[in-house]
Amino acid sequence: MFHPRLAVSAFSASLLLAAAGLGATSSVASAQDVIRFGAPLPITGPLAPEAVKQQQGYDLWAEQANKAGGIDVGGKKYKVEIVYSDYQSNTPRSVQTTEQMITQDKVNFMFGPFGSGAAKAASTIAEKYKVPMLAATASSSQVYDQNYKYLFGTFTPNDTLTTPLTQLVKAKAADVKKVAILARNDLFPLAIAQEMEKSAKANGLEVVYFEKYAINTLDHSATLSQIKSLNPQWVFVTGYTNDLLLIRKQMVDQQMKANVVTMIAGPAYQEFIESAGQSAENISSASWWHPAEQYNGKDIFGTTANFVKLFKDKYKLEPDYAHASAAVCGALFQMAIEKAGSLDRDKVRDELAKMDVVTFWGPVKFGANGQINSLEPPVFQIQAGKPVVLFPDAIKQGDFKLGVN
Amino acid sequence: MLAIQVLINALVLGCLYACIAIGFSLVWGVLNVINLIHGSFIVLGAYLAWGAYNSLGLSPWYALLIAAPAFFVFGYLLQRLLLNRVITAPVLVTLTLTFGLDLILNNAMIYYFKADYRKLILNPPTGSISIFDVVVPVDRLIATASALALTFLLYLLLRRSKVGRAIVAVRLDRDAAVLMGVDVKSIYATAFGLGAALAGCAGVLMALIFPISPLTSSAYLGKAFVVCVLGGLGSVSGALAGGLLLALVEGVGSVYLGPAHAVTLSFVLLIIFLVVRPQGLLGRKGFE
Repeated sequence: MFHPRLAVSAFSASLLLAAAGLGATSSVASAQDVIRFGAPLPITGPLAPEAVKQQQGYDLWAEQANKAGGIDVGGKKYKVEIVYSDYQSNTPRSVQTTEQMITQDKVNFMFGPFGSGAAKAASTIAEKYKVPMLAATASSSQVYDQNYKYLFGTFTPNDTLTTPLTQLVKAKAADVKKVAILARNDLFPLAIAQEMEKSAKANGLEVVYFEKYAINTLDHSATLSQIKSLNPQWVFVTGYTNDLLLIRKQMVDQQMKANVVTMIAGPAYQEFIESAGQSAENISSASWWHPAEQYNGKDIFGTTANFVKLFKDKYKLEPDYAHASAAVCGALFQMAIEKAGSLDRDKVRDELAKMDVVTFWGPVKFGANGQINSLEPPVFQIQAGKPVVLFPDAIKQGDFKLGVN
Repeated sequence: MLAIQVLINALVLGCLYACIAIGFSLVWGVLNVINLIHGSFIVLGAYLAWGAYNSLGLSPWYALLIAAPAFFVFGYLLQRLLLNRVITAPVLVTLTLTFGLDLILNNAMIYYFKADYRKLILNPPTGSISIFDVVVPVDRLIATASALALTFLLYLLLRRSKVGRAIVAVRLDRDAAVLMGVDVKSIYATAFGLGAALAGCAGVLMALIFPISPLTSSAYLGKAFVVCVLGGLGSVSGALAGGLLLALVEGVGSVYLGPAHAVTLSFVLLIIFLVVRPQGLLGRKGFE
C-alpha cells in the first residue's frame, strides 16, 4: 500500500543523509593534503562516448599519482582528487559548471571540457579567475587565438593532420585528382574539413564537392549518390563515430568505391573498427597520438608502452588518442606543480608555459598562445582490422594501401 | 541517372520512415497521447535484434517474432497500469508522463548498454542489387518489404478484426463506443500495446540499417512526429504517404541545396502543413 506520509519522510531522510554525505566529502576536501582538479565533461547527451574516454584518462592518471603517494609539493605529498560535473553535451552549461567548480567547489586547477567549442567557451572563466586550464581535446586555432595566459592544450592545430595526409596520398597515389569533402556542421569537423580543402588545393587537387550535413542526420543516401556521380578518387568525411559508421555503411550500400577514403575522427577508436567490420579496411585517418609510438617520457607513465599496459590492465581495452591526451594533461599538471614546489596558481602556470619535456604522449612544449607546438601527429590506416601507422617514418608500421570498396 | 537513384532512395527510405511512425500515429490518433517513449521503444527493439543475433545467432526475422509479442505485453501493461490513470486528463499530463517514462527507459539503456554505438553486421552481408547504374541495398529492400507487410497487417487488423473495429470505434467516438459495450480501457491498452509492438519491430528493422545507440531515440521520435503531421493522425495509409513525402523532400533537398538544409527543409514542410493542412495528407478534419 502507498503511504504518502511515509514516502515524504523517507524522502526527507534521504535528503538529510545526502546532505550529511556532502558535508563529509567537503570536510575531506578541505583538508590540506588534497589537490582538487575540476573536470567538466559531457557525461550524458550526444557526446557521452567521448566524455567516457576523457574520464578514463583522468582516472588512470589520478590512480597512478595516488599509488605513488601523491604529488610532491615542496617535500609534502598531496593526494589527487578529481571533481567531475556533467554538462550534458550543452556548451553554455559547461561554462556554468566551470565557474561553479572554481567558486564553490574550490578546485585548485581545471581540465578543459570536451572539444574545441566548449573548451573555448569555458576558458574565458578560467582566465577570469586566473586558474590554469589544460584542454585535452581542443585543436582548432580559434581556441588559442584568444591569447589567454592560463589556457594550454595538448592537440596541435588541425592542419597538422590534413597536410601530412595529403602529402602522403599525393606521393603514393598519383592518379588521385578529385576530392569530395563531406563535413558534420560542427566546430571541429567543419574546421578540419576546411583545412583539408586548403591542403588539397595547395597540393594541386581539385575539390569537386564540399558540403556540410546537419547534426543528427539519419540518412545520407541522396548525398552519397550525388558524390558517387561526381566520381572522386578521394572521399574525405568528418564527423563523430556515429556519423562515420552510418556514412560508411551507406557508402557500401551504394557500392561506392574510391582509391582513398579518409575519415576523421573515429577510425582510431576501437569501437569504430569493431562496428564497421570489413568495411573499415583501408580507411585512412590521422590523430594526435597512437599506441605504437615509442617515447621515453619523464612523466609518471614513463614510456608509451607502459602507459598502454597500465591502461589495458585497468580498462581491458586499447587506449586511443582521447584517452592518452586526458592522461597526459594530468601528468603535465603533476610535473608543473612539482617543479613549482607550490600550489600557487601563477607559479604553476609559469611552469606550464616554460615546459619543455618528453612524455609518453610525445615532446611537450607550448607556443605563446598556449597550444602545443612540439608534436608530430601520426597518419594511419586500418589494415587487417588494426590501425597501422604510415607516418611519421620513425614509427611507421606499414605502407599505404590503395582502394576502398 | 542521379535523379532515378535519388527517387529510388527516397522510395525505400520513405517506407522505413512510415514503419518508424505508424505505431506513434496509432497511439496519437486513437488515445490522443503523444507517446514520447516511442523513440526509445525503437532503440530497445534494435538492441533486441542486435543481442539476439550476436549472442544467440538468431536472424532479425526471428527477432521480429520475439519483439512483436514482448513489446505488445510491455506496452499493454504500461497503458493498463500507468497511462490509463491519466488518459482523461489534459494532453499535457500524458505528455509529461510519457516524457518521464522516456527519461527512465532511455537512461536505463545508457546505463546498461553505455552510450557507445553498436552495429548489427549480418554475416554473410546481404549486399546490393544494381540495375544499370542504379543501386539498391538488399537489407533496405528487405526492411522495406517487412515494413510494408507490417503496415498491411495493421490495416487488416483494424479493418477486419473485432478488436480492430473496436479500436476504430473508440477513436471515432469514445462515448458511443462505451454505450455499445466496448471495454474502452482494454482497447486503449491494446492500441498502446500494438503501437509498442510496431515500434519494437521497427527497431529490429532499423538495426539492419542504422547504428544503435540510446542517443538515436530522439532522431527516430523526431521523424515519427514529422511523418504523422504530414500524413495525418491515426491513418495507416497516411503514415505511408507522410513517410514517402518526407524522404522525397529530404533526398531532393540534400542534392539541390546541400545536406545541411535537408532537415531544415523537412521542418519548413511541417510548418506549412500545420498552417495550410493541419489534418495532414490523408487525415480527416475533426478527429480527436
